[in-house]
Amino acid sequence: MKVDRRSFLGLGLGAVAGIAISPVGAKLTDDSSIWTQNWPWTPVPPDGKITYGQSVCTLCPGTCGINVRKIDGRPVKIEGQDTYPVNNGGACLHGIAGLQYLYDPCRVKTPLKKNNGRFEPISWEEAITLVAGRLGKIRENQRPDSLACITDTNLGSVPGLFSHFMTAFGSPNHFTMQTLESWLTQTAQTLHGSGHTLGFDLDNADFILSFGAGIIEGWGSPVACFKANSGRMQRGAKFYQIEPRLSNTAATADKWIPIHPGTEADLAMAMCGILLQENLFDPEFAAGFRGGLNRFNAMVQQKYPVDQVAAITGISAADIKKTAIAFAKAKMPVAVPGKGRGDGAQSLKEFAAIHTLNCLTGNINKKGGTFVKPVPGYLAFPDPVQDAVARDGAAQEKLAGSAQELVTKIHQSDAPVVDTLFVYSANPCYSLNDPMQTRAAFEKIPFVVNFTSFMDETALASDVILPISTFLERFEDVPSKAGFAGLVVGLAQPVVDPVFDTRSPGDALIHLAKTLGGTMGDSFDWPDYKTCLKSLVPGIWNDLSKSGYAVVSQGPPAGRVRTDFAFLAENPSTIQPQGDADLTLVPIDDMRVASTAPASSPFAIKTVSDRVIKNRDMFVEINPKTANGLKDGGFVTVTTPAGSAKVRLNFNEGIMPGVIGMVKGLGHTFDNRYVAGKGVNVHELISPVIEPGSGLDAAFGVKASISKA
Amino acid sequence: MQDKKAHKFGMVIDLDKCTGCGSCTVSCMAENNIPFKEDESDKKDSITWMRVYKLTNGKSFPDTQTAYLPRPCQHCGGKGDHGHSPCVSVCPATATDYGYDTGIVSQIYTRCFGCRYCMVSCPYHARYFNWWDPVWPEGMEKYLSPNVSPRMRGVVEKCSFCYHRYQLAREQAYYNETDEIPEDAYQTACTTACPAGAIIFGDLNNPSHRVHQIVKPDPHPDPLNHDVVGKSRNPKVFRLLERLGTNPKVYYMSEKEWIRKVGDSYLDGEWDKMKNHHGSASHD
Amino acid sequence: MDAALIPEGAKRCSFPKFMLGIAIVGAVLLWGVYAMLLCWFKGLNQTNMNDYYGFALWIWADLAVIAVGGGAFFTGLLKYILKIDELKNIINFAVIIGFICYSSALLILAIDIGQPLRGWFIFWHANVHSMLTEVAFCLSLYFAVLTIEFIPNILENRQLNKVPFFHHLAHNMHGTMAIFAATGAFLSFFHQGSLGGVAGVLYGRPFAVREGLLIWPWTFFLFTWSAAAFGPCFTLLVTRITEAVTGKKLVKDNVVHLLAKISGWMICTYIIAKIIDTIYWATVTAPGLGFEMSHFYTNNSFYGYWILVTEVIICGVIPGILLINKTTRENHSLRLLAIILGVIGVCLNRWVMVLQVVAVPVMPFDTWALYIPSWQEVATTILPVAYGIILIAVTYRYLPVFPQERELNQSKAQES
Ligand SMILES: Nc1nc2c(c(=O)[nH]1)N[C@H]1C(S)=C(S)[C@@H](COP(=O)(O)OP(=O)(O)OC[C@H]3O[C@@H](n4cnc5c(=O)[nH]c(N)nc54)[C@H](O)[C@@H]3O)O[C@H]1N2
Ligand SMILES: Nc1nc2c(c(=O)[nH]1)N[C@H]1C(S)=C(S)[C@@H](COP(=O)(O)OP(=O)(O)OC[C@H]3O[C@@H](n4cnc5c(=O)[nH]c(N)nc54)[C@H](O)[C@@H]3O)O[C@H]1N2
Ligand code: SF4
Ligand code: SF4
Ligand code: SF4
Ligand code: SF4
Ligand code: SF4
Ligand SMILES: [Mo]
Repeated sequence: MKVDRRSFLGLGLGAVAGIAISPVGAKLTDDSSIWTQNWPWTPVPPDGKITYGQSVCTLCPGTCGINVRKIDGRPVKIEGQDTYPVNNGGACLHGIAGLQYLYDPCRVKTPLKKNNGRFEPISWEEAITLVAGRLGKIRENQRPDSLACITDTNLGSVPGLFSHFMTAFGSPNHFTMQTLESWLTQTAQTLHGSGHTLGFDLDNADFILSFGAGIIEGWGSPVACFKANSGRMQRGAKFYQIEPRLSNTAATADKWIPIHPGTEADLAMAMCGILLQENLFDPEFAAGFRGGLNRFNAMVQQKYPVDQVAAITGISAADIKKTAIAFAKAKMPVAVPGKGRGDGAQSLKEFAAIHTLNCLTGNINKKGGTFVKPVPGYLAFPDPVQDAVARDGAAQEKLAGSAQELVTKIHQSDAPVVDTLFVYSANPCYSLNDPMQTRAAFEKIPFVVNFTSFMDETALASDVILPISTFLERFEDVPSKAGFAGLVVGLAQPVVDPVFDTRSPGDALIHLAKTLGGTMGDSFDWPDYKTCLKSLVPGIWNDLSKSGYAVVSQGPPAGRVRTDFAFLAENPSTIQPQGDADLTLVPIDDMRVASTAPASSPFAIKTVSDRVIKNRDMFVEINPKTANGLKDGGFVTVTTPAGSAKVRLNFNEGIMPGVIGMVKGLGHTFDNRYVAGKGVNVHELISPVIEPGSGLDAAFGVKASISKA
Repeated sequence: MQDKKAHKFGMVIDLDKCTGCGSCTVSCMAENNIPFKEDESDKKDSITWMRVYKLTNGKSFPDTQTAYLPRPCQHCGGKGDHGHSPCVSVCPATATDYGYDTGIVSQIYTRCFGCRYCMVSCPYHARYFNWWDPVWPEGMEKYLSPNVSPRMRGVVEKCSFCYHRYQLAREQAYYNETDEIPEDAYQTACTTACPAGAIIFGDLNNPSHRVHQIVKPDPHPDPLNHDVVGKSRNPKVFRLLERLGTNPKVYYMSEKEWIRKVGDSYLDGEWDKMKNHHGSASHD
Repeated sequence: MDAALIPEGAKRCSFPKFMLGIAIVGAVLLWGVYAMLLCWFKGLNQTNMNDYYGFALWIWADLAVIAVGGGAFFTGLLKYILKIDELKNIINFAVIIGFICYSSALLILAIDIGQPLRGWFIFWHANVHSMLTEVAFCLSLYFAVLTIEFIPNILENRQLNKVPFFHHLAHNMHGTMAIFAATGAFLSFFHQGSLGGVAGVLYGRPFAVREGLLIWPWTFFLFTWSAAAFGPCFTLLVTRITEAVTGKKLVKDNVVHLLAKISGWMICTYIIAKIIDTIYWATVTAPGLGFEMSHFYTNNSFYGYWILVTEVIICGVIPGILLINKTTRENHSLRLLAIILGVIGVCLNRWVMVLQVVAVPVMPFDTWALYIPSWQEVATTILPVAYGIILIAVTYRYLPVFPQERELNQSKAQES
């Protein structure tokens, strides 16, 4: 057959028509859409059997009970545990996002050793041998006190094991990060003698006078506080918030009383003066007052007259009086110290003055009052076995009063102060004021061993990293912490096998002590951490293992409380912010941003307002009256004695004129593109100021100036 | 179509209790496999089925006041509560639909072809488009839940009132050989997460449920605006943009008048006339 | 080179010159194609659209090209149904412009949707309540009608017409064109209208929502009306541009004047309806929902009252008056001004009904949302323009688009 142009055309047209009416087109169309519905790059989570695991969240001092939903053993969702006596259901965003920490891009997956500034993976055996070798040398040199240790807290068996290790090793230099707990313990110790701490029965109080405490900003046990706040609305209990800024707490309060930052102690002193003058204190409770009440009274009347304090605080004399009297006349008043989350720099004077208000009302150790309670003592540690070297070392004077002071000392000293430093569950290179100084101090420490789950700022400044399982992968006793009225000890339990080559910190320490041998090995005579834990908590292990928690104390503590006014009667000076610029920069605690370790999760960062972070830029809050012609959203340079940063302005009618605020917990510099590299770390702009009475950093803010950038 | 047994799931959010913490947002993201990007600071392309808005009373220091308003999909019943939600009525491909048995507005990702008409129609900005393919950092996809399918780029998604939880509760009820779904058997992930207890969820049709007791929904059309049905007879309770006739099933509650006023638009002086009107008087 | 294809007696520029022009416009077209492929393969993250701007530049372009493409159905209606015979001299071109506009609209839609491969769900899972469903059905059918209307013109190409089958087909198709024109007018009425309905039914958007008749909000009728009114302006404008580019007169003045006059009267009636609609909306509809008119035009850096004045007065009332008035209509410059203003006006109307609708905050605590399109959006929007220019160039070169071309240009040659 001859194929001419015409037949070719016909054939072509016929073919086209044939295909068009055949089902091929329809089939291809359908297939292509089905393909878009099953794109291989869109994950399809495997289904399976649903089970639940229980644990306790340790991401903040809140210690909430959690329930983990699992599919074929794979955890898929964290929720609050309904029956857990701290949070009673519900959890905060950080806890709910907990699974993101499990698979965090900067989790440390295996032990690491720094070699010429780069980390290289090593085995656990190598890592422990390396650290043990170093420690062995220290003891050979008879300088066990040159081992220092920083942990996040001193509560619970794991910080306890670090403490045990230090004592057995022969060093007094165990420090904890500055937390609300540190302040409350110091306050209780100062006013009521050592071995005490404070709790607040916010669930039952009928008048809460908060000196900036961020009851719904993450203060104390956040979820418990949220519940207390909701509960007090239902009860009709009054809540006054004294704070320079309309925080979320201030916004839900019955009354917001703006105050010049840093003058809270003066206000509390003046209020004490009013109560004493007006005879509005509880005579029965006053019977327990020791030493110095009269001196204290004379002092406050003389040094804190209401008119003068009105000028200092920016609150009218009438308001001060009215508030003090309303507080004193309430049936169950509670004055709450601890600005924001309460874990930042503040002062013992402030805490003591505020707590003195509680003491004057006599609403102590009563339902709806302030609890002066013993520090948790549920752990039965055996005495560590010490040899002569250890005994000598442990008897040395402690290097500093706080981690902040230690770091400052290392930074300022020419001679090596510390040979080896342990860091556990803390990120001092980020969260202490002036982290540049902290990092410089870390440079000077020859050997830093970090027990951590994440490659954070401090991990980057360490020499050996021992990767620690997260709270979802290990056992641990978790006692309720600062400000919580009772004492609940929970049991964190592995809800999933360790995702990486990580260990429980307790196991790592036991392994290390055993490798060191001798008295160290004797001091750590447990086969593993779980056995150790069991032996440390004989009284509550049954409860812990059965229900996941044990209620150690509940309700008002028994016994008389003595109060000593000696510290305040001396009228310790109020810490002033450094610098002489016009504005005062204060850190803001934002519930959506984790302020310490670990850093926020990607989910948490996603919830952060675009008036806090936009792209990578940080905003500072400023009252439009203070902005002096600068524009909302405009770029400015904030300068303080500690440094300067380029930021954007966020006009906020809810911040006092003259005050600027910057959210804490941003500006991380480690390698996690979802979380780090966003904004400025406010601590970079504040230098520490050590308060003589407490040894703690009291630099709650700093003087700052702004100029157009 | 609305038989007696039909549920009408809804929510009451107590704005006085809400702390603005964002736990509801995160719980929703974790429950529903919502992805995240490196930069989520552009809130106009950041997927948050539950978004928490900040409200202010607009006054200056020190009289300024703020509050937070969590906004899931309002599961609008549409004009007259007939099921023609703003979004459902416009979707050309029936990829979002009104469940007459539940009152829940569904979203079928595999059906949606991404025209975004529904987003334009929704005055609450409750709908989110997948501008990107979802990507999780290596290994993190292990925490994804099989109860909710991860979405591909190019489709719209929104709050489902955690529909999968309803399905589980319904299955459980079936297994228990009852048609009752107890109040606590079906609770959304934001409700159970909220640390302040600010969110209450349940069946607005069921007088034993808390939402019904708080809202006291008026079954009759509002005499002032016949498009509006289910208006609350509780003077503290309001809905967002109620006047548009979208008939949301999410109700808000506050003691504060300025907050209740922020829920809708009013001409000058109109608020004072309207604020005391709560449902038809005949049914009080 | 291609002389054999050029209509008999028509003068065309040299082939290389033609190809140079095509290459320049083709480069722009390729830029658009590149952007289009980016959108398809990487997704709509290539645009600056966001969750507030679910509809943005593209949907505006879509509505705008369909509005200005309305010249095709309206001229068809006038020519085939109302039997205004002079319009046979411009109907071919009106159909080509319509074809370009509608094919562009379909292309833009295929880029605009997030899942182009599922686009057919709109037909398969059709929701009869959705205006967009109505749009999709009518638009596709009308595009088919336009294609049918276009075919006879293509078959009139000198070489194709030599094939007896094509010759007769073209002839017979011309004969039945009235049926297609009627179908087209009917379909157009609905899809232009349902495009207006797209905005008007948005009862969650007080800026867009309109009351109406049965299931159709007033915007339904206003859109159809405005497309019929301003579509011919666009036909005339493109004719004028083609004349300018080719340096030839292609359509006789009486035809132009007639179409301009009809357009003028349509604009005037439309604008009266539009003004009534605006007043009713501003004084009854919006306040009934709690909104002062000022809410929609203040507190933002772009959408001021100027846009309303420009759309309704400057680009509505003025061109209407200029075109109904014989002296201004027959004044070359004033007529050109009027048709340009008219085209701007209808495009602005579509902009407002798409973009301003989503820019206006509805929740009292929400804020205005403004957006600037990305280059990918701009490029893909220019893509159909480039495609249109090429199609017009090719059809003009090879098809007897303008029946009066020979006559007009011969007589000129003879006179001089
Ligand atoms: N990203 C993403 N992934 C998804 C989903 C999603 O929404 N998004 N959806 C999930 C859901 S709900 C489903 S159901 C699955 C569907 O996913 P699949 O179960 O993979 O379904 P098909 O794609 O239809 O593929 C079925 C295969 O079976 C073949 N087949 C057809 N008939 C027969 C037969 O008689 N005998 C045999 N032996 N083979 C046959 C077909 O040719 C085809 O290869 O996808 C799941 N995956
Ligand atoms: N073209 C095409 N069509 C398909 C398929 C295909 O491959 N191609 N696959 C088919 C298959 S196998 C499946 S499983 C489906 C997948 O399509 P769907 O069944 O829609 O499943 P998902 O995509 O997982 O979407 C689940 C979401 O839909 C909503 N939803 C589910 N059930 C209900 C309900 O009863 N009421 C309400 N109101 N909302 C509900 C919920 O919001 C839930 O989060 O699509 C089917 N259709
Ligand atoms: S409040 Fe603290 S302990 Fe409780 S869930 Fe949140 S991060 Fe965890
Ligand atoms: S979780 Fe509760 S308190 Fe927190 S923002 Fe959501 S509704 Fe408000
Ligand atoms: S809130 Fe928006 S998405 Fe949800 S039902 Fe209403 S219109 Fe639809
Ligand atoms: S984007 Fe999807 S759900 Fe929304 S209207 Fe279009 S097809 Fe329907
Ligand atoms: S109901 Fe479920 S889907 Fe909706 S916002 Fe709450 S958690 Fe998210
Ligand atoms: Mo399926």
